[in-house]
Amino acid sequence: MPIKAMIIDDERLARNELKKLLEQHPEIEIIDEASNVDEGVEKIDLAHPELIFLDIQMPGKTGFDLLAELEKSPKVIFTTAYDEFALKAFEVNALDYLLKPIDPKRLADAIQKLQAEIELERASLSGNTRGPLSESDQVFVKDGEKCWFVKLEEIRLFESVGNYAKVYFSTNKPLILKSLNALEERLDEHVFFRANRKHIINLHWIEKIEPYFNGGLLVELKGGEKIEISRRQTVKFKEMMSF
Amino acid sequence: MKKQSSLYWICQIAGWFSYGLTILFFASILDKELNPIFYPRLAINLSIGILLTHLLRETMHRFSLRPPMPSNQWWKLVLLLFVFSIINSFSTSYLADILKLYEPGRNFSLSRRFLFSIIFDTPIFLVWMSVYILWHYIEFTNTEEIKKVRLETMIKELELKTIKSQINPHFIFNALNSIRALVDEDPKRARQAITELSNILRSSIQVDKVEIASLEKELDIVKDYLALEYIRFADRLKIVYEVEPNTLSHQIPPMMLQTLVENAIKHGLGKQPGDCTIKVISKLENDKLVLIVQNTGLLQETEKDGFGLQSTRERLNILYRGQAIFEIFQCAPNEVTAKLVIPISN
Repeated sequence: MPIKAMIIDDERLARNELKKLLEQHPEIEIIDEASNVDEGVEKIDLAHPELIFLDIQMPGKTGFDLLAELEKSPKVIFTTAYDEFALKAFEVNALDYLLKPIDPKRLADAIQKLQAEIELERASLSGNTRGPLSESDQVFVKDGEKCWFVKLEEIRLFESVGNYAKVYFSTNKPLILKSLNALEERLDEHVFFRANRKHIINLHWIEKIEPYFNGGLLVELKGGEKIEISRRQTVKFKEMMSF
Repeated sequence: MKKQSSLYWICQIAGWFSYGLTILFFASILDKELNPIFYPRLAINLSIGILLTHLLRETMHRFSLRPPMPSNQWWKLVLLLFVFSIINSFSTSYLADILKLYEPGRNFSLSRRFLFSIIFDTPIFLVWMSVYILWHYIEFTNTEEIKKVRLETMIKELELKTIKSQINPHFIFNALNSIRALVDEDPKRARQAITELSNILRSSIQVDKVEIASLEKELDIVKDYLALEYIRFADRLKIVYEVEPNTLSHQIPPMMLQTLVENAIKHGLGKQPGDCTIKVISKLENDKLVLIVQNTGLLQETEKDGFGLQSTRERLNILYRGQAIFEIFQCAPNEVTAKLVIPISN
């Protein structure tokens, strides 16, 4: 089964050139293309490509803005003419980018690498694209100048800060513009648990559980954060954790 | 150095000579008849003065006690001043004493002569030292000033060079990418595009060598540049030229028009997804050359201070010393105008 891919670039000729290069790669199937961010977000939400070829400099909104607007990010290969600064924004993740005009050899390498990853994920997943986000899904997080691709399994805690949510993973705590309620709806309830009004915790990251006031619980995460589970949620929590 | 030294001697001799003349002048006014011992004593005073101030100069020179010097060294100068005036007073009064150069009726003791001399001659040494230090101070600040000016012009020249050779690498690689796509789609246009790109690259290399270029040549670069952008954005971009033929031979700073056009593309085409019209206008108005670049879009406050426009202003200041005008403003609800008015050079 070929990989479903989409090209997002504001230049018609650049899209054509990439399509032409991809003719050599039958394992990639271009299902659609978009010429700006808004069109791209719309089409991605509709068609759920597994891979996008994404230009960074586009009119109005950049490729990074597009990723930030997506609920979950497909695999991304950035295509850019000269954006060394933009690409430096990614500190943690080594990610693939191709410089235009694209070197066919580099393209082949990038595709080969991605293919292996996608095959692996397909094997572990039922291929369900509409359900809750699974642990291996990656999300794009942008906080000011910095960007990350994070797998959900790496996130141990979401904390509500006004209209934002603070995302805890490794040593970073960037903010994303999403409410906890919206997040809770999309996250897998077997992994992510609403501990109280302000926190969602990743159950796999729990280190210690202690009784707390009022019949609640105090959970310590592997990152050292101590989170209270409210009395109401404690009942649910105990239910989930027992047979 | 040699020139400086002879200048010093001229000043030194002339200074003491005029001091001697002043003394003579006042003496001849105050005393009806000049005492015969007056001349030898004046001669002794002057020669010891010259000798000692010269030694003073050497000492100050040896110990670097002249500008530029650290301010905590001033006490050494005061000390020097006292030591030299004491030597001076002592030697003049002692010489006067052994040569018996005094009026027969007024034979003061040596210590009294010494005291008189300290009181009346020390100011001369103070004046001498002040003049000497002032001289060096002025000389020092002058050379510093010259150095500073030289450095500033050097920096400006360097800045001009970097400003001129700013060609956006993003543009070059995107253009190459479109050309590669065109090779199959429209080989004829692809060949033409390669020529256009070569022209731009060549002019950006050559621009470092010229200070001024004709509008005609600059327009050629702009046309090549816009033609390449048109290949990339044919569906969104419209280009309009309104060029009066009598403006073509006038001289303008190289790559300046190009900077404005690039800026117009960046903001007109890059900041909003809709269509964009770029208009390039050149005309003569009140004996001045007026260049206008318009683009669709909204002017952002940050755009005015962008590197391209900021350096355009600086270049104009350096080249025309306030005689040229550059402004950028919102001329219609969705249209931005960048306007350049430069004097016509002959």
